[in-house]
Amino acid sequence: MRTIKTVLLLATLLSGAAVADIAVVVNPANANAVSADDLNRLFLGRASSFADGSKATPLNMAEGRPAREEFDSKVLNRSAAQLKAYWSKLVFTGKGTPPKELADDAAVKAAVAADSSAIGYISSSSVDSSVKVVASF
Amino acid sequence: MLKKSLIAVTLSSLLIAPAFADLTINGFASIKAGITLDSDDTLYGYDDSLDFKNESLFAVQLMSDLGEKLSVTAQLMGRGAEDFDVEFEWAFISYQLTEEIRINAGRLRTPFYKYSDFRDVGYAYDWLRVPQSVYGLGFDNIEGISFYHTTQLGSFDSNLQLIAGAYDGDATVSGNSVDAEIKNVLGVAWELGRDWYSLRAAYLRGKVTIDAQSAELQPGVTFGTFFAGLSGAGFATLVNEIDINEEDGAFFGVGFTADKNDWLLVAEYTTVKVDNSFIANQKNFYVSLGHRFDSITPYVSYEKEDNEAKTEIYTPYLATLPPQLLVPVAGIVQSQARKATTYNLGLRYDFHPSAAFKLQYSSEDNKIADLRQDVLAFGVDLVF
Repeated sequence: MRTIKTVLLLATLLSGAAVADIAVVVNPANANAVSADDLNRLFLGRASSFADGSKATPLNMAEGRPAREEFDSKVLNRSAAQLKAYWSKLVFTGKGTPPKELADDAAVKAAVAADSSAIGYISSSSVDSSVKVVASF
Repeated sequence: MLKKSLIAVTLSSLLIAPAFADLTINGFASIKAGITLDSDDTLYGYDDSLDFKNESLFAVQLMSDLGEKLSVTAQLMGRGAEDFDVEFEWAFISYQLTEEIRINAGRLRTPFYKYSDFRDVGYAYDWLRVPQSVYGLGFDNIEGISFYHTTQLGSFDSNLQLIAGAYDGDATVSGNSVDAEIKNVLGVAWELGRDWYSLRAAYLRGKVTIDAQSAELQPGVTFGTFFAGLSGAGFATLVNEIDINEEDGAFFGVGFTADKNDWLLVAEYTTVKVDNSFIANQKNFYVSLGHRFDSITPYVSYEKEDNEAKTEIYTPYLATLPPQLLVPVAGIVQSQARKATTYNLGLRYDFHPSAAFKLQYSSEDNKIADLRQDVLAFGVDLVF
């Protein structure tokens, strides 16, 4: 009985995570538009600047966080294992390093608010005036 | 011993670096075991007793960002096949000239194949091992300088690599490890990719020297003494056509990969040629097809080796060369012929966020020896 309850609870939590939107955020001073393709390139290390040529610093959510899984599957269209394999190709050949990982929404917001080159993503419900939303998924 | 203390010194000097630079430590490891399915078989370093050492390896990579676009990277690897003796697999400085251009100098990986750069990082691909029919050439590392240009050409991502350097190490001649050298290596590798597929081509050339002098042709007779005998009998020109002394070598390879709707297709074709030497002209190929079912990726692959012995080396001498010299000459040349096909059946299972379990059955059919050999191997590839 207890198992069934746990399963139900888990299912509720998981479906909750599946519908929670994520917001891609930048520093309020950043005027660039960011497309899904740009996000792909930035978070896969294939580009390192915004449309206006200024430096971009992508910030990832820590592995295992629901927002990370959401971003990986919806924006990058890859599973966590595929992305790890992708990055290991670059890391162990000196061709790139994955974006820095931050622990939670608060850490991403603080980092984006403090750095005009930063770009990260958080749950839509965590958005406030310290950051600017450039895309939602 | 000297090697290890040298590494200790280098490691400690790298480890002091964090005080003023950003140091990143990453690593990867493979623990693999394999066994041949018949008592007389030997394949990929395995025989009929289960071996956990042959394809296992550990590596640690230290990367220090020195700022101002300069970084230094060292990858230390211990291979089970070499008793886990630690060696620098990669050691280079990297300078990011612009966003699109990077220059690496030091010990680098020779960019022969699609998977050359990360062939040791099993976690980065689905196979248990890269297809040996194509990847078995050797000469994996090069000391030199490499220029990388990454850009977008229309909707394609373009990766161009130019490399110049030299290889100084070993090669195996009739079972003996001998000194080998490739000087003046110049090469280009170009990869174009867009959403679900990529194309790659590589061309490298260099002056190849393989010092087979000390290698035994038959008990008591080395290549050196045999060549001296041939020259003494007035066949110095023939010696020149057989030995491998600063000969022009050329490598060419093309590859294709596709990853669409969870289907994975990879194919590569390579040719190797070393002029004026007994090394056969090699044409090798593989194609692999897999399908991703969530965390499990089964795959099947087919490999083909076709190494044509250069019989034209001795055919002009059939009438003039005494049989006691002709027979060993023909033997040396024909020993390089190889025709083989290999089937592989395997799977990758991502059972952990940082580790994958692999299982692969390989069956090689050596057409010249008329011998089929099978090996079963399994293991875990991980990154940290």
